[in-house]
Amino acid sequence: MKKNNKTKIVSAVLIVALLAVLLLLDNTKGVPSMLLTVLRKGAIYALVAVSMNLLNGFTGLFSLGQAGFMLLGAYTYAALTIPVESQTSIYQQYPGGGVGFSITEGLTNAMGGFGLLLGVVICLILAGIVAALLAYVIGLPVLRLKSDYLAIATLGFAEILRAVVQYAKLGPVTNGSNLLYGFTSFDDFKIGSLKLSTVMPFVFSGLCIAVVVLLINSTYGRAFKAIRDDEVAAEAMGINLAKHKRMSFVISSFFAGISGALLAMYQASVQAVTFKAAMTYEILLIVVIGGIGSISGSVIASFLFVGCSEWWLRFLDNEKTLKNFNAKLIFAIIFGLIVAGIAVAIFFKQKKNGKLGANVPCIGTAIVALAAIGWDIWFVISPNLKLPLLRSGFRMVVFSVIIMVVVLFFRKGLLGDQELPDVLHRFGAWLQSRFGKSAKGGDAK
Amino acid sequence: MKKFFALALALVMALSLAACGEDAGTSSGSAAAGGDAQTLKIGVFEPASGDNGAGGKQEVLGIEYANSVCPTVEVGGVTYNIELKEVDNQSSTDKAVSAAQELVSAGVSVVLGTYGSGCAIAAAPIFEQAQIPAIGCSCTNPAVTESNPYYFRVCYLDPFQGPVMANFAKDQFSAKKAYVLTMLGEDYGSNLGTYFSQEFEKLGGEIKSESFTEGTSDFSAYIQNAVSWGADVIFAPSATTYASLIIGQAAKSGCTIPLLAGDTWESSVILDAQKGTDQQVFCSTFFDENDESGAAASFVKGFKEYLNADSQRLTNNGGNDIVAAVSALGYDAYMTAIEGLKLSASTSGEDIQAALFNVDFDAVTGHITIDAATGDANKTMAYIKQATDGTFTFIKTQSVSE
Repeated sequence: MKKNNKTKIVSAVLIVALLAVLLLLDNTKGVPSMLLTVLRKGAIYALVAVSMNLLNGFTGLFSLGQAGFMLLGAYTYAALTIPVESQTSIYQQYPGGGVGFSITEGLTNAMGGFGLLLGVVICLILAGIVAALLAYVIGLPVLRLKSDYLAIATLGFAEILRAVVQYAKLGPVTNGSNLLYGFTSFDDFKIGSLKLSTVMPFVFSGLCIAVVVLLINSTYGRAFKAIRDDEVAAEAMGINLAKHKRMSFVISSFFAGISGALLAMYQASVQAVTFKAAMTYEILLIVVIGGIGSISGSVIASFLFVGCSEWWLRFLDNEKTLKNFNAKLIFAIIFGLIVAGIAVAIFFKQKKNGKLGANVPCIGTAIVALAAIGWDIWFVISPNLKLPLLRSGFRMVVFSVIIMVVVLFFRKGLLGDQELPDVLHRFGAWLQSRFGKSAKGGDAK
Repeated sequence: MKKFFALALALVMALSLAACGEDAGTSSGSAAAGGDAQTLKIGVFEPASGDNGAGGKQEVLGIEYANSVCPTVEVGGVTYNIELKEVDNQSSTDKAVSAAQELVSAGVSVVLGTYGSGCAIAAAPIFEQAQIPAIGCSCTNPAVTESNPYYFRVCYLDPFQGPVMANFAKDQFSAKKAYVLTMLGEDYGSNLGTYFSQEFEKLGGEIKSESFTEGTSDFSAYIQNAVSWGADVIFAPSATTYASLIIGQAAKSGCTIPLLAGDTWESSVILDAQKGTDQQVFCSTFFDENDESGAAASFVKGFKEYLNADSQRLTNNGGNDIVAAVSALGYDAYMTAIEGLKLSASTSGEDIQAALFNVDFDAVTGHITIDAATGDANKTMAYIKQATDGTFTFIKTQSVSE
């Protein structure tokens, strides 16, 4: 009991510290705005990934409808919060369009800052409820299917939803194929002159993820996991399969709807074309990379994924010409050292396993390393100062290769089906056994 | 072993990133120490991938050419070297936001772009908040500049372009019935279709409109509908990928109804599709490349030389040296930025924004002055071209009848 209290205090302190850091980042000049972008989008994607993981990782239902439910959430949120006076200009293709009121605007006028928060929370919940209601209706026929069939049915459903939203007859609410914009976004959250644009996504998304975690650790969560592990056994234990599957599907869609609304707030505009199947695949990738059945894995993976795709690899898209010979030399030396280091490390590993010799990995490594170093030397000699390969589009190639490597070599994802605290505990224990005792004990893996 | 290998690869990535970061640091240090000429960054916010990737690349070419023609600018008595900073917005409104953030954090003074109004609308609040003026090249949706004092535009708008084509259909073919075909979910096409229909009905014509879904490859049913309904013209503003299919299948089914479309159709893809058929294909566009008077002629000559100087540029232009209207608009957007910078008192965003409203010069796509209410260039005329055997032939200039 005492230990439990300690963990609670530690996590509370950590959460407060995180929010404080975010608040500081938000209001300090000179913080790269890309960092803030990645943090915001990462937090939102974390929630979608967790909601998908609840279904795919914890209940074992392979569903690909996430983008569709996000779309519903995003449109519900946007339509309800567009300020009344800008509705005529936004819905100019559909004269008289728009819902004619704005929940957030009305409440802000009535109650100020608190009203804004209340309005957004109400709209977020409504966004979730709309998605959940449709999920319930869809779930009735679709959840009789299993594995691939369920995936195809939900994917098809998401595509249908996208077409329905763009349908001209629904234009007065959805604006047809056009964008919805101008609604309440994260930038509207302020305390005095303090900006909260990065804090709010973390607050909303963190609360939702916390609810999912509580759910997974409850009786229902254990029932979900039982269904995932063995349906027949679960039914024999008295678990109502249909009820629990539907429940998982509806709850997952509820949070997908909320995250869609959050994404709309982040983008400050909504258009149905962005919610394509490709978006579902991005989320599926995050779930797989993080580990199917690991909440913390999904969260970590979503930040890594967003960071990689939006920020760290951007330099690959721009052609780069080095300033002078010295810069080229430095680049070449660093590149050469990296290649040599990797090659030596691979050989070392092979030797340790007793496999050093004329086999495929060794020869392959040698050839690749020699070729790379050869190119490196040639690059130094040649008068060319321009780095090769770097041009528009190269980023996506590298990004895909990285994802392939991750999926190939970490089949279970970053964390497998474990959670971060457990992994850290084991890592600590491993360190202790390795360095606390003699070196002998550590080798046993 | 495998895990180790993957770790090693991850290490390479991390280290090469570090190397590049270091390199960037050293280079900027030497630049600051070396010359007295200062650098001013202009952001190029264009798609290089996604649905509009092809058009975006052509627009970037126009901007790069303009940069090679005019690489420095004098602002408030100080000469600046202009550096272009390009980002790919992937033709998607969710990627556009972070691409725009990238430009903001790179500290650009002006932004040019983008092809595709959706991305421009999505990114507009970010530029407005950072007080960076943006100049749209070929985004024709009125919502781009509306209620955003930091977004400008050098092309004409859809509410102008649609009626122009309606008037053209009426004047040229005395059309009574127009069949409008647009893609479901594409804001550009469906808006243009609506504006066209409204004007055409006002002129006393009859409209039948249909839409196809994304990924459609068989258009014969739609063409058959148009023929059996007795349409005089088909108005089909759509992305070039669908356009080439529509033209090809219309030709194959022996449909002789003239095909009309908006500015996106002025592309070599359309020429290739029309080549070897009797299909009459017309589109509205922003400038006439054979116009011997004014800035257009020298632009066309210089730009062709620029394209032919590098095989990569030719590839980005679609494999030939036909000058696209979007390249001309990219050039004009850059020149508008230069004119604005010259008039501006300093390089701060507010000063440039104020100065841009006073721009007044002869550009490739006609004389440019900026409307004080919206920030759009005042344009009153569109150019109609016909695709015939591999080239675009200038037909007429068309304005809207009052």
